Amino acid sequence: MISVKGLVKQFGDHVVLKGIDCEIEKGEKVVVIGPSGSGKSTFLRCLNLLEVPNQGQILFEGIDLTDPNCDVDQVRRKMGMVFQHFNLFPHLTIRENITLAPVKTGLMSEEEANRKALSLLERIGLPDKAEAYPPQLSGGQKQRIAIVRALAMNPDVMLFDEPTSALDPEMVGEVLELMKELAAEGMTMVVVTHEMGFAREVATRVLFMAEGQIMEENEPKEFFAHPQNPRLRDFLSKVL
Amino acid sequence: MGFLDQISAWWAGFCGDVYTNIIADDRYLLYLEGLKNTLLMAAGAVVIGVLLGMIVAIIKVYAADNRKLRPLEALCNLYLAVIRGTPMVVQLLIMYYIVFKSAPPEMAVGVAMLAFGVNSGAYVAEIFRAGITSIDRGQMEAGRSLGLSKNTTMRYIILPQAIKNILPALFNEFIVLVKETSVAGYISIRDLTKAAELVRSRTFEPFIPLIGIALVYLVLVMVLTAIQRRIERRLTAGDKR
Repeated sequence: MISVKGLVKQFGDHVVLKGIDCEIEKGEKVVVIGPSGSGKSTFLRCLNLLEVPNQGQILFEGIDLTDPNCDVDQVRRKMGMVFQHFNLFPHLTIRENITLAPVKTGLMSEEEANRKALSLLERIGLPDKAEAYPPQLSGGQKQRIAIVRALAMNPDVMLFDEPTSALDPEMVGEVLELMKELAAEGMTMVVVTHEMGFAREVATRVLFMAEGQIMEENEPKEFFAHPQNPRLRDFLSKVL
Repeated sequence: MGFLDQISAWWAGFCGDVYTNIIADDRYLLYLEGLKNTLLMAAGAVVIGVLLGMIVAIIKVYAADNRKLRPLEALCNLYLAVIRGTPMVVQLLIMYYIVFKSAPPEMAVGVAMLAFGVNSGAYVAEIFRAGITSIDRGQMEAGRSLGLSKNTTMRYIILPQAIKNILPALFNEFIVLVKETSVAGYISIRDLTKAAELVRSRTFEPFIPLIGIALVYLVLVMVLTAIQRRIERRLTAGDKR
């Protein structure tokens, strides 16, 4: 589904990604871990071109995103993204946050989008918040809204950029729970996180990134039980 | 003469002044015409200024990560430099006597509207730019990640938030603009100030005309301030936690 070849990204002289190759199949749940500054967020943001790669190729469902003639907006409609800081639109109600993109991209009529928004809100137990504004919600509620806002576009893949890192500890659970539900339904997911428990439980594959490279990748049991790379061993000994 | 007599003599004089300066020879019509022209110029200039300012601001913001817009940005910078670097009255005179030198006198209000609008646009542009850049980058990223185009995200997500933040600065500019139209007399437009001057030059009585129009300007600005407060209240509806 997503195929990354020789991805290089640099900010000025600083090379953040030093040639990443990675294949992500439909239905996979890929969790990316690694120390801060290792480039894992940049890698994720390259997947939907929030960061434009300097070299290499990214294919999504056969479309080359790095082709200058590629209609990025069209591709992004199929890729949901969830941010560390939620990035809800504070001037819009929760319902409007969810319906804006489906309506403005012509995916749904206003009515359809409203119905979809309400059913998504019911799913996460927040139907009474439809007319509330983001500043009135808790962090956990905001992030769950952000997730269903992305889901409203019926994406083929969901990208999560440290979705629980900005949350109070007691709110991490509700967000991870929703992500587990999504995973169980078969959603293709790429998740950058520090939640090792989530990686162990949900991932079909775990990537370890350091110094702008994928140092190790494996299915989670083996990954955590028998880490090969010394950098990974060192990292795991610190976080586990 | 007693104190009360003094008061009543002053009052009689005052009423006479009011009569000669406002009512005699239908002079109130002169003020009304002046008020109409002042309001017309201010309203037109606000519309021109906001549109122009918004466009210039968006070009400058977009040019930050789009090389193709650099020449257009240079043009915008030139506009800002020239307009902010020269006096309003000089711009007005240039607009009327050079740019539109064959314009008939009845077009003067239109020319002034344009001159004030072009002037205001430069200040509004910087206000808008400040507002747009103050919005968190994540808002643009969230909009784009949902598949919205840059322009759609700008229109529905960035600008509404930016406008809310810049409302005080924007209304500051509108207030300045209303009062700045008082120089329109330089190109023989009968605005409120010119009307007062005309009356003063006939009656040789400065007090009533000048204090009178000062009060009218004050009321106009108070109305603007009231409008600002209403919009602010409406836009902050979602801020209550």
